[in-house]
This record gives sequence, C-alpha cells and structure tokens, in this order.
Amino acid sequence: MNNVLPVVESEQRFRSLFDHNPDLVLFQDAAGLILDANPAFLAFMGEDRADVLGRPLTDFLPPALHALFNEKLREACRGHMVQFDVAVPFAGEAPTMLSVTKIPLMVQGTVAGVHVVASDVTEQFASHQTIRDQAHKLNTIFESITDAFFLMDREWRFTYVNSEMERLLNVQREHVIGRDMWEVFPEEKHGAFHRQYQHAFETDQAVHFEAFFAKGQRWLDVKAFPSQEGLSVYFADVTEKVQSQQELYRQHSDLQQFTYIVSHNLRAPLANALGLADLLGSLDKHSADYELTLKHLQASTQQLDAVLRDMNTILSIRDKQGVAAAEPVLLAAAVEQACLSLAEPLAQCGGDVVLDVPAGLHVLGHRAYLHSIFFNLLSNAVKYRAPARALRVGIAATARPDGGVRVAFADNGSGFDLEKAGADVFRLYKRFHSGPAGRGMGLYLVKAHVEAMGGRVEVQSALNEGTQFVLYFP
Amino acid sequence: MDTLLIDDDSIGVFLTERLLKREGFAENIISYHSATEALAFLQRARPEELPRVIFLDLNMPVMSGWDFLEALQPQQDQLAGRCHIYILTSSLAHTDSDRTQEFPLVEGLIHKPLDSGQIQAIRAQVMATSGS
Repeated sequence: MNNVLPVVESEQRFRSLFDHNPDLVLFQDAAGLILDANPAFLAFMGEDRADVLGRPLTDFLPPALHALFNEKLREACRGHMVQFDVAVPFAGEAPTMLSVTKIPLMVQGTVAGVHVVASDVTEQFASHQTIRDQAHKLNTIFESITDAFFLMDREWRFTYVNSEMERLLNVQREHVIGRDMWEVFPEEKHGAFHRQYQHAFETDQAVHFEAFFAKGQRWLDVKAFPSQEGLSVYFADVTEKVQSQQELYRQHSDLQQFTYIVSHNLRAPLANALGLADLLGSLDKHSADYELTLKHLQASTQQLDAVLRDMNTILSIRDKQGVAAAEPVLLAAAVEQACLSLAEPLAQCGGDVVLDVPAGLHVLGHRAYLHSIFFNLLSNAVKYRAPARALRVGIAATARPDGGVRVAFADNGSGFDLEKAGADVFRLYKRFHSGPAGRGMGLYLVKAHVEAMGGRVEVQSALNEGTQFVLYFP
Repeated sequence: MDTLLIDDDSIGVFLTERLLKREGFAENIISYHSATEALAFLQRARPEELPRVIFLDLNMPVMSGWDFLEALQPQQDQLAGRCHIYILTSSLAHTDSDRTQEFPLVEGLIHKPLDSGQIQAIRAQVMATSGS
C-alpha cells in the first residue's frame, strides 16, 4: 500500500512537467497522429485541445515541411532520438526557427509513440546569424586590408591569421592557429618583437616599430594594439624602404667623408705646396733653404698624389669594380705572403711573428684583399710597436662550427686608448699615435676589405700593452 | 716676439717658421709636433717664458687642437693678455670658425698657408693689445 502514493506523485510530477513546459510538447503515434499536446503547443497554434487530438501534426504545418517531419518521425520510430532545426513559415508571419527533438517512447522493446519537443529559437538563431555575419564581415575586412594581420591571446597563442600574413611569413594558418607564437618562431623569442609586444601588454598602450625578421630576411613595420582578449597586430614588409634608407645613409656618410677628405687631407699638402712655392720665390737659389724648400715642395705634391690614389682605392672597393668572384683562398698562404712582404722591417726591429694557422684552412674571398688585410695589420704592428720591448705578433686562426673562420691578430705593441678612439678606430685618416708617420689609411682598408668579403672585425687595445684584432670571415 | 708653433706636420712647421722669419715676425720660434708636449711646456713655463703668439694646428692625432684648447682652459686667466693664440689650419671646414667662439684665448683662425699680409696683420694686432 505504501508504494501507491509515490506512483501517483510520480505521475503528477511528469504531468506537471508536460503541462507547464514552456517548450511545445506533444505525443504522436507512429502514424503521426497527435495523442496529447501541452498548453504551450495549443497556445502557440491557437487551437483547442479537442481540435488537435487525433489529427496528424502535419495538419498544423506548411505543406512544404510535411515530408521533412514525416521522415524525422519514421527515423524516431526506428528507435533513434532525432534532433533538427527548421524554419517554419506559418501563414502571414516571418519564419519561426524551431529546434525540434523527437524522442521515441520504448515500451517492452517496441516504439509506443514519439514525444516531440520544439523550442522557439528564432531569437537565438537571429543573434547567432548576426554573429556569423559579423565574423564574416570581419574576415572580409582582415582579408581585404593590404597589411598582414594576426590576433593573439594573452598566452601568446595565434587566434587569427590573414592570408597576407601567411604569404609574408611563409606560414599556413592551420599550422599556427592555437599555437604559441614563440613555438612557431623560436628564433624571435628574445628579440625585438617579443620585447615590443610584451611592452604593449604591460603598458596597455599600442606600439609601433620597425624590426628585422631574421627568418624571412625582411624588415617589418609593425603596429600592435592590446585589448582584453590579447593583441591585434598589423604589419607590412618595408624591406625595400629600409634598404634604400640604409643605402642613402651610407651614401650620405660617404659624401661627408669625401667632403672631409677634400677639406682636410687634400687641402693639407696643397696648402703646404702653395706656401712653399711662395717661399721659394723669395729665396736665393744657391742657399741651403732653397734646396730644402724644393724638397718639401716635392714631398707635398707626392702627398697630394697619395691622397688622390687613396680616394681611388676607396671608391673602387665601394664600387666592387674589377673584383673577381669570391674563391677559396688558403689562409696560411695569404698570411705568410704578408709576413714575407714585411720581412725586412720585421727583421730590423727584431720582431717575431708566431703563426698558428691550420694548413688547409680556406677563407672564401679575394686573395688581394686578404693580403692587404694582413699586410696592413702587420705593418701597423711594426709601426706602432712598443719601443721598450721586442715586437711579438701572434696570428691564430680557427675554423668555426658555422663554417666561417675566426682569426685573432695580437701584438704586444704600444696600443691605444680604445675608449677615446671609439668609433674612429677604423675611420679613414684617423690616427692614434703622434710618433711614427702614417696616413690613417691602414685600418680603414682592413675594415673595408673584411666587409667587402662579408666579414667583420673587432678590436681590443690597452695602452702600452698591445692590440688584438679579431676577424670573422663567413 | 716669442712664438710657439704646434703642428704635427713637419713640412708645415718648416714652412711657417721660414715665413715668419722672412717677415721678421719672430726670431725665437719654438715648435712642438704634438699638442701634448706643447701643453706640458705651457703648464710648467714661468710667466716670462710664455710665448706672445701661439700658432695652433687643429687636425692632430692623440690630442687635437680643440683638445689642447680645452686642456688649457684652467690656465686661461694666466694666459689672457700674454698669449695670443691663432688657429692655423689647412682645413676649410666652416664649423671650425664657429667653434673658436667657445675659446676666448683664440684671437683668430687662419687658413694655411700663411702669407705676408696675414703675418703683418697679426703683428699689428698683438702690438696693439700688448702696447697699451
């Protein structure tokens, strides 16, 4: 007796769920006839219960949808729950979006009927449609702008990538979306891009910068705007612009250097020649001073000629004219040849050169340039040796793991104040010793020749201790 | 009058010396090939040893003419009125003459080579200031 009450209660609970359900709920038999319908359905259709029961559901639907609903009913009758969305154009009204679920009622292994639950999702559908439209519109915008564009979240993950970015950075969106930017571009993890984006995040301010993207060998002009979601980044390839700026800058500094040469180095011997010619006119031709003045005049015109020849040398390195293609040059041979050229002054000063250049080590470049580099370094070492001790020069070369060659050229000479000399060390006609004569051409040529072969040169020096040059060849 | 030449170029020194002598400007000419040595000389010179006129080159290694003038600034009061400094440079750079304004001890800037007209003008200028 005790279990009668719960059964009744249970029955009432389900009845209540049926009657008060805001969704449209009804029960059909396998033929599609409505056996029961809840008040929400009756209200929606504007029908009385009596007018609905025993009639097929399709009576209340536009004819165009009958086939669909019958098909879904048959599917449910085969024992499957069926779910579908459908736009129902009730007469004289805008279509109503219904999300319909048909649930078969199984009694002892056979389908006794089908519950139909339909929710009006017109509004939801409309707002989803708006979102889809907007997403589509955004996509169209991001695709149509000429800039490359991507979005990333605050965990550095790409969330959107346009096709210009795919093209420019040579990536495919399906390979980057959702991935960490620094996993996609690990070589940039400690670079300018990371620093700038980090700054944008931290300050919540937009950043605008130019940086070199090493992997693609391109200069990029980047604008990044932080938001709560992450960062919107626009960028464009400005490699050509940056390169032409650099070229312009180089030409400008060449021009400055040229002006400097004309106003200082060409003018100095010329001014002497002018003065000496003036002096010569007032001297007795048989005096000792006359001879001396004439000798100085000759020397001045020779200096003038030397400056003009220097300028020619410099310009020909710049223009790369008359230079054969780079070829493997045996480093030991080039160094030994330079030592041989300076054998006499080396012997005179009791200098000693210790070579540690592996036999067979090659540098890709030009024989004449390599000779000039070691000749000038060695000639400087002799010229600026420390008077108090015998000159010792060490030249040590090693192959580098990346295929390049590193050459260390160290002397125990008089050295110079590197801090004071600063950027002038390799500048043309800059000199750092007041003693022995030099034009200030040697180190300029060393740097120009190293760079013409794609290398670079570094220098360390301490006054009265010595100087070390380190050359890196590719 | 006692004259000091500071120029790292030995031909330049030879020429200026001979020209000054030809014009009867000075008999006692001391020349230094480095500004560092000239500075050391001036710093330890007794007042009566100070030269009346200094011809200073600008473009020199280690210590340029400008470095020399800056190093001399602490001594400016002792030198003012006694030493007349003329910059004697072969450079035609316009910026040089602007920069001389920073150094009150500098009386003028002359482009090499010196000629007799300039030498006479300097003599007149030095005599005028020292004579009073």
